[in-house]
Amino acid sequence: MNIIVCIKQVPDSSQVKVDPKTGTLIRAGVPSILNPYDHYALEKALEIKAKTGAKVTVLSMGPNQAVAVLRLALALGADEGVLLSDRAFAGSDTWATSYALATAIRKIGAYDLILCGQMAIDGDTAQTGPGIARHLDIPQLTFCERIDANNNQVIVKKLIEGGHQIVQAQMPVLVTMTFPADYAPKYPSFLAAHKAQDKQIFTWTAADIQADVHKLGLEGSPTRVDRIFPPPARPKGEMFSGSAMELANKFVEILKKESIVK
Amino acid sequence: MAKNDLITRNLMLDSLRQYAKNRISFNLIREHDAKNEIPLDILKEMYDHNVLGVHLLLIPEEYGGLGGQTTEIYRVCEQLARIDLGIATGVFATFLGSDPLNVGGTPEQKAKWFKKIAHENKLVAYGATEADAGSDLVSLRTRAEHVIKDGKVVGYKITGSKMWISNGGVADIYTVLALAPGGPSWFIVEKGTPGFTQDVHEDKHGIRLSNTAGLAFDEVYVPAENLIGLKEGQGFLQAQAVFGYTRLMVAAFGLGGGEEAVETALEYAGQRIQAGGPLSQKQGFMLKLITPHYIRFEAVRAYIDWTAKQLEVNNHGLATEGAIAKLYATESGNKAAEDAIQAMGGFGYTKEFSVEKIKRDVKITCIYEGTSEVLEMTIFRGRWQEHLKSRGQYYVKQAEEFEALHAQNPDVGADSVALGFRALARVLEDCRVNKLTRHQYITFQLGDLITEMEVAAVFTRQCANKLVTEGSRFDLASLCTMARVNARQSAFKVASEGMRLVLGTCPAINTTELAQAVNLVAIEDKMRGLIEDMDVVSAKLRDTLKK
Amino acid sequence: MIQISEKCVGCGKCVSACPFGALSLSNRKAVASAACTLCGSCVSVCPMGALSLPATGAVKKDLSSYKGVWVFVEIGNNGRTSFVRPVGYELLSKGRELATQLGEELCAVIIGSNISGYFAEISQYGTDKIYAVDSPAYQQYNTLAYANAMITLIRKYNPSVVLFPSTYVGRDLSPRISSELFVGLTADCTGLSVKQGNLIQTRPAFGGNIMADIKCPDYRPQMATVRPNVFKKVVTTPGRMAAVVNETVSVPVKAGTVRVLETHFDPVSAKDKLDEAPVVIAGGRGMKDKAGFDLLENLAARLGGAVGASRAAIDLGLKEKEKQIGQSGVTVASKLYVACGISGAVQHIVGMEHSEVIIGINKDANAPIFNVCKYGLVGDAKQILPYILEGLEK
Repeated sequence: MNIIVCIKQVPDSSQVKVDPKTGTLIRAGVPSILNPYDHYALEKALEIKAKTGAKVTVLSMGPNQAVAVLRLALALGADEGVLLSDRAFAGSDTWATSYALATAIRKIGAYDLILCGQMAIDGDTAQTGPGIARHLDIPQLTFCERIDANNNQVIVKKLIEGGHQIVQAQMPVLVTMTFPADYAPKYPSFLAAHKAQDKQIFTWTAADIQADVHKLGLEGSPTRVDRIFPPPARPKGEMFSGSAMELANKFVEILKKESIVK
Repeated sequence: MAKNDLITRNLMLDSLRQYAKNRISFNLIREHDAKNEIPLDILKEMYDHNVLGVHLLLIPEEYGGLGGQTTEIYRVCEQLARIDLGIATGVFATFLGSDPLNVGGTPEQKAKWFKKIAHENKLVAYGATEADAGSDLVSLRTRAEHVIKDGKVVGYKITGSKMWISNGGVADIYTVLALAPGGPSWFIVEKGTPGFTQDVHEDKHGIRLSNTAGLAFDEVYVPAENLIGLKEGQGFLQAQAVFGYTRLMVAAFGLGGGEEAVETALEYAGQRIQAGGPLSQKQGFMLKLITPHYIRFEAVRAYIDWTAKQLEVNNHGLATEGAIAKLYATESGNKAAEDAIQAMGGFGYTKEFSVEKIKRDVKITCIYEGTSEVLEMTIFRGRWQEHLKSRGQYYVKQAEEFEALHAQNPDVGADSVALGFRALARVLEDCRVNKLTRHQYITFQLGDLITEMEVAAVFTRQCANKLVTEGSRFDLASLCTMARVNARQSAFKVASEGMRLVLGTCPAINTTELAQAVNLVAIEDKMRGLIEDMDVVSAKLRDTLKK
Repeated sequence: MIQISEKCVGCGKCVSACPFGALSLSNRKAVASAACTLCGSCVSVCPMGALSLPATGAVKKDLSSYKGVWVFVEIGNNGRTSFVRPVGYELLSKGRELATQLGEELCAVIIGSNISGYFAEISQYGTDKIYAVDSPAYQQYNTLAYANAMITLIRKYNPSVVLFPSTYVGRDLSPRISSELFVGLTADCTGLSVKQGNLIQTRPAFGGNIMADIKCPDYRPQMATVRPNVFKKVVTTPGRMAAVVNETVSVPVKAGTVRVLETHFDPVSAKDKLDEAPVVIAGGRGMKDKAGFDLLENLAARLGGAVGASRAAIDLGLKEKEKQIGQSGVTVASKLYVACGISGAVQHIVGMEHSEVIIGINKDANAPIFNVCKYGLVGDAKQILPYILEGLEK
C-alpha cells in the first residue's frame, strides 16, 4: 500500500501575539510548527504502516524552510519526503494549492490512500483536501477522527452534524483527519531525529511536476484580497483589577446588576 | 551517517521542550525541590531511546550514540537548564563522566563502556573533586595502588574519598580520578564494587533535583583494564583537554537559567498593572531589571555559539574561550535571576513562582566546573601571555579589525569595541610597566575586563557579518541594536574600571593623562542615543519573548 | 513579489499593512522581501496606487451571462426526523439582500428525497425560485452524488453567486465543486456584500487580528460558505410560493465506492447546545488544564449555561472540538458571555461579539478580548473562579 500524507508548515498559533497598539500580528520570533491536524494525519498513516507495511510519503508545498516539517515527518517514521518549492507557487489560494499538490501526487505515481489534516491552522479553510481529491478524480472522506485501512478499502469514523458515521470506501481515496480532544502530538527521539537525515527529500519545482503554469500561483487563484481592515473598534468597557477575591466579588456584583442572578 | 544539521538540532530541541511540557510540570519540580530528591524516573525516561535518549549525544556513533557536536550539546544544555538546573546537572554528569573515556579511552574500552552506557541507559558520575582538591586538582589525595600477580600489574586498589559528586548516590558507572604510582589517572568503577560506598545526598542551597554525594573508597579493587587509556599519569591531561568544552556547557546552563528567570519575570510584568498600565510597559522597570540582562544573554549566546563552532573544527582546547563563556554567562545568569526576583517583588520571593528556585539553582554555575575566581585567573593568564608575546599589540590589532568593521557597518557598535580594545591594551600595558599584576585582585579584575570586551567583540562581529545566532529568537535588526548597546557599555566598563584599577594601585599615575590614554571621553561620547536604543530593545523583548 | 512602481513615496502604510512582514522601507521606498506571498493586502492601502500584483495574463471570461444568487439548502437529520437546517434560511435572508442589490433572482437549491414539503417554508425568505433534485438516490448525503448534481445545475443555469452553509456537509461539498469549476471559494465568511457587481466576502484573515474583504472579479460563480448563526433569518415574503424547477440528475457510478455503514447521533441535552444557551462560559489557554475547565463547568451549572472554548484551548485538548466558539467553530449570541483566560483573537471575537453582556477575565490587561467586553477583570481566571463559585453560594 502507498500512502501520501500532505503536510504544511504553519506559524505556531499559541505563540502569536497581537500588537496592543495596532492590533496587527507580531510574527517575529514565532516558531513554525507542523500543522497539528497534519501531525495527526501523519501519525494515523504511520499506524497503518506499522500494521500493513505500507510506504508513507510526505508531501509539502512551501518555501525551502518547510523542509523542517518534512524532516519531522521522516523522523516520526515516514519513508520519503517531497517538497514543492518554486516562486511560481507564490500567491496560490486553495484552488492553485490543491492543483499543485494533486499534480505532484500524480508525479509520485502509485498511491492508494492520501491523508490530509482537515485544515491548516493558519488558513482554516478545509478546502485543500477536497480540492486535491477532485483534481485526482477520487472520492473523499472529510473530518475523520479514526481510520483503518487494509487491502483495498478504508473504514473511517467521520464527524457529521450532531454525531458521527462509520463509512467505508474503496481505495484510492483521500481522507482528511481531525484529532480527538485528548490528542497529544508525538515527537521523535534524538536518535530518530538523527536518522531522519539519511532519508530522501526531493525538491520539485513547477517544471518538475509539469504543471500548467496558468493554474499556479496568482494566475491559478480565483480569489483576490480587495482590502484589509482592522476589526471595528468598540467603546472599551469598565475595567477592574485587584486581588482574586476582590475581582470575584466584583463579578458577582455585575451578575446582580445585570439581573443574571438575584 | 552525517553530522546533525541545524534542522536535526531544532527537532531534538523541540522534542526535549515538548517532553518537558508534558512530563515535567513546575509542581513536580517544586515537590522534588522541597523534598531534596532527584526525579530518577524522569531522568531514566529521558535516557530511554524511544522517548528522547539525551545521553546518546555524548556517545560516538560507532558505539550506538549520536556523536553530538558541541553546538547541539550546548543547545540541549541550555534547554535543560530552562527546564530545571538540577535535572540538567544530572544529565550533564553523565556527559562529563563519559568525557575521560572519550578523550583517553582505548577503542576496546570505548566499545565496552559506551555500548553499556548507550544501551543500558546507565547514569554516569564524574569523580574528581575532593575536600582539598576542587577546581585545582593538584592536591589530589585518592590513591590507586598496584595489585601485582605473577610480576604483572593486574589491577589497582583505590583508597580515598570524593566530595560533591553529581549523581554520586545514583550512578551506575563512575569515572574516578586517583593518584596511581605513575601519576594521576582515571579509573572506571562500577556501583557495587566491594569497598565502594556512597555517602548520603547533600542538602544543598539549589539544584536540589540533582543528587550530590560523597564517595568513599576502601581498597576498592578494579582490574587493570579499567585504567582509562591503559597508561598511568594521563589524568590531568585528559581532564584539562575538555575544559574548554565542559565549561561551555556550564555557560549554557547559566544562560538557560538566566533566560528562564527573566522571561518568567517579564511574563509576570505583562500582567501586573501598576499606575494604569502593565509593568512591562514601564521604562524604569525594564531598563533596570529586564533589558540589560537580556542584552547580555544575546551577547554571550553569540559568544558560546562562536566558541562551539570553533571547537567543532579544533576538537579540543580553547580553554580561555571556554572560561570566558562560562564566567560571563554564569555571572550574568546569576545576576539576572536575582533581578527577576526583584522584578516580581513579593511574588518572586515565594515558592509559588519559579524564580526564587532558579536563583538558588543558578548560583552553582558560578561555582562548579571552575569557580568564577579560578576562571578570572585562567582568562587573565591566557591573555596576559598574548599581551606580552605581542609586545602589547594583541588588543591593538583587534581594535584595528573593529575600526575597519565600523567603516563597513556603522550600526553594530564596532567603533565602541575598537575603543574598548584600545583602552584594554592600554590598561594591560600600564599594569605591565608598573608591575601591578603582583596584586592578585588586579589579575582577577583584568580577567573580568578581558571577558567583558571579548564577548562584546564577538557579538558585534557576528552582527556586522549579518549572522543571527543559532537559537536566538530575535531578528538581525534587534540583535544589532543589542550589540550596539552592549559594545558601548562594555567599552565604558573597561575604560572606567581599568582606570580605577590602575589609579587604585599606582597613585603616581596622572589621572588626566590616563583618562586621555584610555580615551574615556570618546567612549562616553558614544553613549548618545543609548537610552533610546535600550527602549527599542525593551519593545522587542515584549514582542518576542513569550513562554 | 508584489510590484512597487516609481509612484511610491515611502509613506510606510503598506509596511504596517503587510500580514507577513514582507515589506520594509529602504531609502524612502517600499521594498518587498521573499516573504511576500502575493496576498495583495497592501495594494488597497497605498494612497499613491504604487503597488500592484504581477499581471497574470488570465483570459477574461464573459461574466455577463452569470445571473442569480443561489443558496444550497441543506436537509439535516437528527436520527428521528429530517428538516431544513436553519442556516439555510439565514443564507436565504442574506441572499435576498444580495440578489436585490444585484438585480438578480434568489434561488434555493435543495437536493434530497421527498423534499417538496419544505418548499413553502423556503419560499418565505424572499426566494424566487427553487431548484429541486428529488430522488431516493439522494436520501443520504454522498459527496460525489451531490457534487455532481450541483455542478450539473450550475453549468446549466450559470448563477453568479452560490452560498453554502459551513456545516460538515457544506464544507465537504463546496470545495469539491469550486475545484471542478475553477472558481473561488471563501470559507466561513462573517459578512457578504456587493461592490461593483462583485460579491465581497468578509472574513478574519491571515490568522490574525485583521479582517479581509475577498473578491473573485474574474470568475463566476462566486462561492462562499457561512457558519450558522452569523446572519439573521428574516421572513420577507410570507405566504408567497417560489417557482419550483424540478431537475433530474443521475448519480455517478463512482459514488457507490463510498458506503455509510453506521450513523450515530450524540445524545445532547439542551444545556450542551452552545448556540442556544442563554449563558455561555468560555475558556481559553489561560485555563491551563482540565481542572481549570472543571471550574467553568461548575460556574455554567450554577448559572444554567453551557461551556465553550477558544481555539487555543481546543488545540490543547481541553475541550471537545464541537465546543469551539469562533469563526471556525460555533457562533453564539447569548445573554451573558464570560470569557475566561481567552486573549481574544479576532477569530474568537467574531463568534461571540453579538452576545448581550460580555465579561472578560484575563491576566493580560492588553488582551484584545477587553475591547469587546462590557466588563473586564484583569486577573487569573483560575484563581478568581473558586471565589466566584463561593460568592454565588452565599
